[in-house]
Amino acid sequence: MIHWKIGTAALLCAALAGGSAAFLSATPLLAQETVKLELWSRQDPSGPLRPGNVVKAAERLNKELAAEGSPKRVEVAVRESPAKGFDDDALQLLKVFGIGEGPDIFIAAHEWICAFQEDGFVLKLDDYISKYPQHFGTIFPSLWSSAKCPDGTYAIPQDAEARMFFYNKKLLREAGYDSAFVDAMPERALSGDLTMDEVLEIAKQVVDKTKAQYGVLHRPNKGPDYIMVFQAYGSGFVDPETGKLLLERDKLAAAFGWFERGVKEGVIPANNTAMEFDALRKEFYTGNAAFWMYGIWDLGSVGFPTYGLPQDEKAFFADWGWIAGPAPQKGGSPVSLTHPIVYAIAADTKEPELAARLLGHASAADLNTDHAVTTTHLGIKPEQLEDPRYAKAWPLARATDLLKITKFLPNNSQFGELNGIIYAGIQGIESGRLSAEKAADFVIEEASSTLEDVIVK
Amino acid sequence: MTTIADELTIERRGHAGSAARRRTNFVIFLGPAIVLTILFFVVPVIIDIAVSFTDLSRSLRISEFTTEQYEKVLRTDRRLSQVIGLTFIYVFGTLAIFNVTFGLILAITTTAIRNVSGSFFRGVWLLPRMSPSVLYILLWLWAVSPTEAGLVNQVLMQAFGLDAPLDLLTSAPVALIIISNGFIGASMGMIIFTAAIRGIPEHLFHAAAVDGAGTFAKIRFITLPALRWPISFVTIYQTLSLLVSFEYILLLTKGGPFYDTTVYALYVYRRAFESGQYGYGAALALFLIVIGVVVALIGWRFFDMERLLQRPRIEVH
Repeated sequence: MIHWKIGTAALLCAALAGGSAAFLSATPLLAQETVKLELWSRQDPSGPLRPGNVVKAAERLNKELAAEGSPKRVEVAVRESPAKGFDDDALQLLKVFGIGEGPDIFIAAHEWICAFQEDGFVLKLDDYISKYPQHFGTIFPSLWSSAKCPDGTYAIPQDAEARMFFYNKKLLREAGYDSAFVDAMPERALSGDLTMDEVLEIAKQVVDKTKAQYGVLHRPNKGPDYIMVFQAYGSGFVDPETGKLLLERDKLAAAFGWFERGVKEGVIPANNTAMEFDALRKEFYTGNAAFWMYGIWDLGSVGFPTYGLPQDEKAFFADWGWIAGPAPQKGGSPVSLTHPIVYAIAADTKEPELAARLLGHASAADLNTDHAVTTTHLGIKPEQLEDPRYAKAWPLARATDLLKITKFLPNNSQFGELNGIIYAGIQGIESGRLSAEKAADFVIEEASSTLEDVIVK
Repeated sequence: MTTIADELTIERRGHAGSAARRRTNFVIFLGPAIVLTILFFVVPVIIDIAVSFTDLSRSLRISEFTTEQYEKVLRTDRRLSQVIGLTFIYVFGTLAIFNVTFGLILAITTTAIRNVSGSFFRGVWLLPRMSPSVLYILLWLWAVSPTEAGLVNQVLMQAFGLDAPLDLLTSAPVALIIISNGFIGASMGMIIFTAAIRGIPEHLFHAAAVDGAGTFAKIRFITLPALRWPISFVTIYQTLSLLVSFEYILLLTKGGPFYDTTVYALYVYRRAFESGQYGYGAALALFLIVIGVVVALIGWRFFDMERLLQRPRIEVH
């Protein structure tokens, strides 16, 4: 009996001890509150770490929360949209917010941020930015302007890049230009000595004197690169005093005139806008076009991996190169465009503080450098420049030169729609349906009838 | 008396019973169709009318009820006249060349030859209709590719010695959308006309042959008069169908170059879904509904469909 009693007592004690140990160890778990934050991101092979870094940031934030003794833990659920471009994605997301199904955090092209702000879908971030200088304090001041709407900052810059005219040096040499001329083009463009029309002239020489079929190619859909041409010819699209959209007929016609001359000279193909993106890239990277108007990340996403362009800096610049968007006339100002992608927080998220801290961690220099070096995008903080990986990724360092003259697309809530009209104008010119003058009239008429508060000069 | 009264009561009950049964049968047999018709045909029109009087835009929010969209349609939209003109060319071009004429030629020729060969050729012409639209257009894109790899250019350059490849998508986009849609549309006319031709009593052809009629005389005096009803039907049906369909155009030319192949239905799509102007798209769509109804009524009157529907025009044995 005694033996049995001792055995029972021992079993009971063990069960109790085990039970209380399990209970005690489970107590913090039971008390823990998991905060699910939904992140909206476009499926984009040119930037998989944009959402990826937010997911990684959750681990860092959770460690920080544990150290603070907070019971909250963050879990990020990524909701991917299959939109073809950032414009389609923004239109889709506006609808999603409109029906009350919006995410907590989203990734967008900067020029759309004020469209979200106008409808009250996005959170104002000025207080969080000043509250967490350890996260946001060193982001390049120039990048913040891409995240601002009239009454404050509504987004956090995620990356930057540079848009330029890539060119094929081999073809230029074949067309009769000597190496000194070809190699000096970037410097001449930056100093305002090389003009937009000289680019057409060089491209014509290439088309006439080599086997290459095309002179200048540009994207076949709505996007930022061709806006460089309009900026070169003086269109800023926003009235600095009122912030309203501004269309200046003469400046628009001058920019459209460049496309018109390009097509007439047989340099820009009449069907550029009907071609596929991949087909255009193929034409340029396989030596069938002299110039390709696009962005630096194209080297990392397509140029190096798909078409085997030399990854060694010296070897690359022996046969390839890039120039800033040239000035409209000698002595004028060259242009380059940067198109930052931004992180933003929904106005109705239940945990704005945690979302802001999460994005703070996602903007950490090391994580952002991971994104920058793997996708050839420019970083957002000066400390990234000291990272050996960043220094090794020479296209980034070389493209940084263009940041001195870079401009942004206007952060006007209607610019996305205006850009669609401008693109239709380019298509009208290239396919021979419109003259430069008529294209300018078309943009003005179309914008005036479909957009609000457009100033026409 | 009692007996008569009872009989009357029974008869009344019988009437009442049959009326109730008719109502029940009506609900059972027609109810689902009526519900579906209301849900998918009437409600969308009502929603469209309601949306067209709002400022519903890209974030799906309505801040006011307005007639602004109609002002835009009637006053400020300068693209609209061009779009309507193009739609007219597209619809009547496709109808006149392919859906009716070519369908008729196919039906007459494939019923005139041996049955096996006739069925084979009809089968071939049905292929575009049976292919998924994306696949069908992919083949077209390859055929008219502006490079030397395009099928048309391969043929023209190798067989006819053309120097530079043609870019038909830029130089002849309207012809391309008419042909690509017509190849599909012709098969419907072909099937209906074939069935009608087969329904013509054979002795009429024999009698005509005895009277000395040739092939063309037989077609003119026997076949075509017997096809009046199917031709009227195909014309009206295909007009309405072409007015509202745009998927092949969207896939082939995206409405371009510029607005060259943006027919009315595609214009509505571009305004509403590419620019996010849903209120304006709804107003434009309402006009399309009105145009459809007007075209149907004109067709009804023009072809005297009421008379054609009254009794069979073909003697059937």
